[in-house]
Amino acid sequence: MVSATVTAAPAVRTEKQPGISPRGWIGFLFIAPNLLGVVAFTLIPLISVILLAFTDWNLVSGFGGISFAGLDNFVAIAKDPGFWNAVGLTFVYVGVSVPLTVVLGLALGIALNRPLPGRAILRAIFFLPYIVNTVAIGMTWLMLMNPKAGLVNQVLGAFGLEPGWFASSHWALPALIVMAVWGGVGYCSLIYLSALQDAPKQLYEAADIDGAGMWAKFRTITWPSLLPTTIFLLVMLIIGASQGFGLIALITAGGPGDATTTISYYMYQTGFQFYRFGYASAIGLVTFAGVLVLTLLTWRAQRGRALHE
Amino acid sequence: MRNELSRRGFLAGVGAVAAAAAGCSSSSGAKSSVLQVWGGVPAASGPQKVVDAFQAKFPQYQVNYTRFVNDDRGNLKLDTALQGGIDIDVYFTYAQENLALRAGSGLAADLTERVQADPELKVFLDTDQPRAFLDDGRIKALATAREPYFVLFNETLREQAGVELPQAWTIEDYRATAKQLTTAQTYGCYTIPDVPRIKLGPNYWYDGDRSNFGDPHFEQAFALGREMIEEGSAFPWREVLARHLAAYQQNSFLQQEFHLWSTAPFNLRYLYDAKKYPHDFKVAFAPPPTVDGGDWNGGSYNNFVMVNPKSPKADAAWEFVKFWLTEGSGPMLAGGKLPTLGNVTDDQMITGVLGKEPDKYFDVDSFRRVVLGAEPKLATDTRLAGFPEISLAHGQQRDLCWLGEKAPGPAIRDVRRLADAAIARTERSS
Repeated sequence: MVSATVTAAPAVRTEKQPGISPRGWIGFLFIAPNLLGVVAFTLIPLISVILLAFTDWNLVSGFGGISFAGLDNFVAIAKDPGFWNAVGLTFVYVGVSVPLTVVLGLALGIALNRPLPGRAILRAIFFLPYIVNTVAIGMTWLMLMNPKAGLVNQVLGAFGLEPGWFASSHWALPALIVMAVWGGVGYCSLIYLSALQDAPKQLYEAADIDGAGMWAKFRTITWPSLLPTTIFLLVMLIIGASQGFGLIALITAGGPGDATTTISYYMYQTGFQFYRFGYASAIGLVTFAGVLVLTLLTWRAQRGRALHE
Repeated sequence: MRNELSRRGFLAGVGAVAAAAAGCSSSSGAKSSVLQVWGGVPAASGPQKVVDAFQAKFPQYQVNYTRFVNDDRGNLKLDTALQGGIDIDVYFTYAQENLALRAGSGLAADLTERVQADPELKVFLDTDQPRAFLDDGRIKALATAREPYFVLFNETLREQAGVELPQAWTIEDYRATAKQLTTAQTYGCYTIPDVPRIKLGPNYWYDGDRSNFGDPHFEQAFALGREMIEEGSAFPWREVLARHLAAYQQNSFLQQEFHLWSTAPFNLRYLYDAKKYPHDFKVAFAPPPTVDGGDWNGGSYNNFVMVNPKSPKADAAWEFVKFWLTEGSGPMLAGGKLPTLGNVTDDQMITGVLGKEPDKYFDVDSFRRVVLGAEPKLATDTRLAGFPEISLAHGQQRDLCWLGEKAPGPAIRDVRRLADAAIARTERSS
């Protein structure tokens, strides 16, 4: 009996039934809430958008009102001046706000890495904009940038400058960029701060022995060691900025004129104001493809250039 | 004994959870015996009193009123609920584009026979100045309110400036009056009345299968607004946008930042509620100005009530709709809703729309003359191709023009180009 049991045991292991064991099912039970969330709020909407991009649908007509449109929506996008205007504005918004955020975040990170008095409090203050509610940020900046009574123009007025900010088609986008940079710098600096603390110390010691200056140390040691962090931040900020919607919806509603109708706001207008859900989904797919290409290019840029310990 | 979880047991568990979830959702979505009514007016501003009165008269019915905010998000919520089979029997629609979309997509019951069978409701069969929304000749919605426009004067500031209260005037007189009322501290008016609407009446954005923005009154309106802003007689558009004043005009009027306010009855509720909106001046009424022979009021029949065709309580829903249109008129006056059927006395109108102390805050004689005595031509649009796109294009170009960034001619030509494209696209896809 005993020997039979001993010899039978390995046989059970090799003849393992395909499928999930009862323990595995229990595991699924634990992750079920998250899994359901991902399916309901990510997977189903994602598949819906892909399918709807090839249809004509206004929501109100119900599922029976969905009609197959083939590639019509994509052809229409190619000819839509409103879409291309939104693409241009998004490029300006992303192209200015993201590098500025990264550069200022790096400078702030380096500054906060030094032994300053009240360093912890300063770090918390600079990180605060990242966690504050969008509506609170929007309302505060709306007051600060009021062309007549706002604090910003009262200061600028001393120098003879009084931009219209959100009430000017020339200044509305720059104002949004200022807000985006202000909101992102603290986050960048915190990420850089942790990366700076991991920088290879022995290389700095060797550079000190060789008599390297501050700039030489930054160029040859600090910057290459921060490159993976920089790429990570660039990718995150590009994705975030190209999806920027809350502040635009709250403050400018895409105006004045269409001066702040970026691609995400244009998508919202098309879907939720004009009820052209198929067309809005196609814009979403095209935007996704654009951001994906941009992200891959950014990721590729770091290849072989990062400094590893 | 070891308690192991079997696959069958797990599936049974999942099934139970799913059934419970389905039970939860069906309890909110199932058709209950309670009549479900969705509207955009806060319950406290009249609807709750209508519901209470209805239930007192018809104790066999129970009614639940749900408020949705009448903006893009609120209307999307209503549309999703209607499509998703949520229990809604009666609902209200305020914007014309939503009306067409809902009626044309099978979300509104055909009320034609019910209206025809009721002599009390015969005004809804009028097609000259329609008070019902017709879809292929069938009545799909009934206007519960009429919204005439008028011009309000701050009496204190008007008397200080020694300006006569107009009883009939042109748009040129309006500009001259606003100019006369402008001081170093205050602007003459908030903005101008809708010049092309006054001249052209219903469907004024359309001309055949194209847009009508080639009509000179559209450019005249852009030019007039811009000139008045530049001369200081109208509120600077830069401040209107920066302070989001379009939604809060009443605050500036109450703070006496401007004298003339072209508006509609729904804004009167701010002027009689001295607790929430304290002020110490009286308000007088003038009719909207005319435009070289055009005398459409600029206002419309509005607040359309519709019955969900999927409602299993169609008779009860109709009973409620009819009650709202007739006996519900009184309570709805408090929110500035003048009844379509006109089935209230002048005294009810005065105390309902102007509050409990009408003489304290209003020049009642001018209210009698302009609102009670007049029979204004109210336009209700029935052509709606590309309406949301045109509305956006018109608003955007007006902003650029009135900010002084674009001349009136190019601005209106851009509206025309965008509107033509929207109409062509909409009519091609329909």
